[in-house]
Amino acid sequence: MNMKKIRRRISGFALPFAFGVLLVILWQTQALHMWMGTDTITLPLPTRIGEIISANFATISGHIRITVIVALGGLVVGSVLGYAIALVATVFSKWGAGGLTIISAFNAIPIVALAPVVNNWTRDISTDVSLRSTVAKILVVTISCTASMSVNAFRGLTELKPFSEDLMKSYGAKKITVFTKLRLPNSVPYIFTALRVSVPASVIGALVTEYFAEETVGVGRQIRENIVKGQYPTAWAYITVACAIGIIMFTLLMLAERLLLKRRRAQ
Amino acid sequence: MNERNDYTGNTEIMLDNIGMTYKTDDNKDVTALTSVSLDIQKGEFISLLGPSGCGKTTLLRIIADLLTPTQGTITVGGETPRAARLAQRYGIVFQSAVLYDWRTVKKNVMLPLEIMHIPKAEREERAEKMLELVGLSDFANHYPNQLSGGMQQRVGIARALAIRPEILLMDEPFSALDEFTREKLHIDLLKIWRKTNKTIVFVTHNIQESVFLSDRVCVLSPHPGRLSAVVDIDLPRLRTMELKNTPEFTALVAKVRGSFEGV
Repeated sequence: MNMKKIRRRISGFALPFAFGVLLVILWQTQALHMWMGTDTITLPLPTRIGEIISANFATISGHIRITVIVALGGLVVGSVLGYAIALVATVFSKWGAGGLTIISAFNAIPIVALAPVVNNWTRDISTDVSLRSTVAKILVVTISCTASMSVNAFRGLTELKPFSEDLMKSYGAKKITVFTKLRLPNSVPYIFTALRVSVPASVIGALVTEYFAEETVGVGRQIRENIVKGQYPTAWAYITVACAIGIIMFTLLMLAERLLLKRRRAQ
Repeated sequence: MNERNDYTGNTEIMLDNIGMTYKTDDNKDVTALTSVSLDIQKGEFISLLGPSGCGKTTLLRIIADLLTPTQGTITVGGETPRAARLAQRYGIVFQSAVLYDWRTVKKNVMLPLEIMHIPKAEREERAEKMLELVGLSDFANHYPNQLSGGMQQRVGIARALAIRPEILLMDEPFSALDEFTREKLHIDLLKIWRKTNKTIVFVTHNIQESVFLSDRVCVLSPHPGRLSAVVDIDLPRLRTMELKNTPEFTALVAKVRGSFEGV
């Protein structure tokens, strides 16, 4: 039992961590550059990237804030919208499954195509560039987060354990009671399944949609701007920051999931 | 057969010429049950026994008002099954325990009481009492996943009894358990039955189980599902595991087995 736990810790955390450390060592010693046939200008050393991040931290954290607001904003709005759609689909179960297939189709539209369309929608909502640009970006992320939540939440609301609806019926429970006591709690693990997909998607969505935004701000946009200007070390600093945002948000999600579902899944 | 006078109470459930016909997808009629007539006495332990496809679960679901029969009438304590269901006169135990895994054991037992809007203090008290009855007081704050299959099914029984039903409907409640756990739960169930005086309708496909537990065994035969015999089990009521080794028990098992038609 204890041995098993230790082994799981090793395979779940220690191994990936050791691999990361190894990679940084190979990178710093330029072994990586030799294998990849590149130089320290195109692929700056980790210490150089670290220096840039600490020297420009104030500027960088401003861009981080903008990107995180877009990612989280779109994630929250998209997830709430997706869950609401799932609720409607559950109530009108005849149309529900079919309707969700259409929603899923939206998910297949690439952000590259979506961003200009959304920019057109938001053109007239405000004279403030920053505001309308932020709204446009949040909308793109929202669209890319809605489908996974609606599809998963619908499953959570409708795929009930055998006889659990019969049990409710035997008590003469009302439809609303079946929702509050059975369907909603049953959907909670499925919400996390959706978030495991949409949290990384929201970060990637935010980074990519910044490329097409009116305003030239955010971590994603800074990667592009600096590469265009040939400032590779700065571009790499933003790439590093972008990775960190994704990893931190996913880690927070995992912690929340463990905290909330711990007792349900206890063996 | 229904002229029994060793029951002081009167009839609890009356089934009169019950039939159930389904329409399949390709619009064919399938008869699950045909002309079942049966009177179940108050406080009686009665089994519905038969192989798969004999309609025993269908019959139980008709009594529970989870299905409406296509023929015949049924009254429960003089009311319709629907009225009986809405008056919470049934406690149902299903094939699986059907515990909600986000609730503790105690909160699972309290679930029906919440739906009935019983005040919190009374809910707690009744749940604790029921858990004591099934011997799970120490596990009140555990989650279902932390319990064995047998313990989970005992929680299911406690939950069914918590609403103080007059009738306990059990649909193959022990079929997923191992033989040892099942035998222990048989003894427990009989104890609970003696303490609470419920009418129990017990669906099973296990001949020994039905003989060991019941006052009467209703033998259902398949194709189409029908009641082919009702066998009185006149064994002493205080039943112990040793009873299974007696010639009387073996004879009754043989008699029940001999009552099936076309299996």
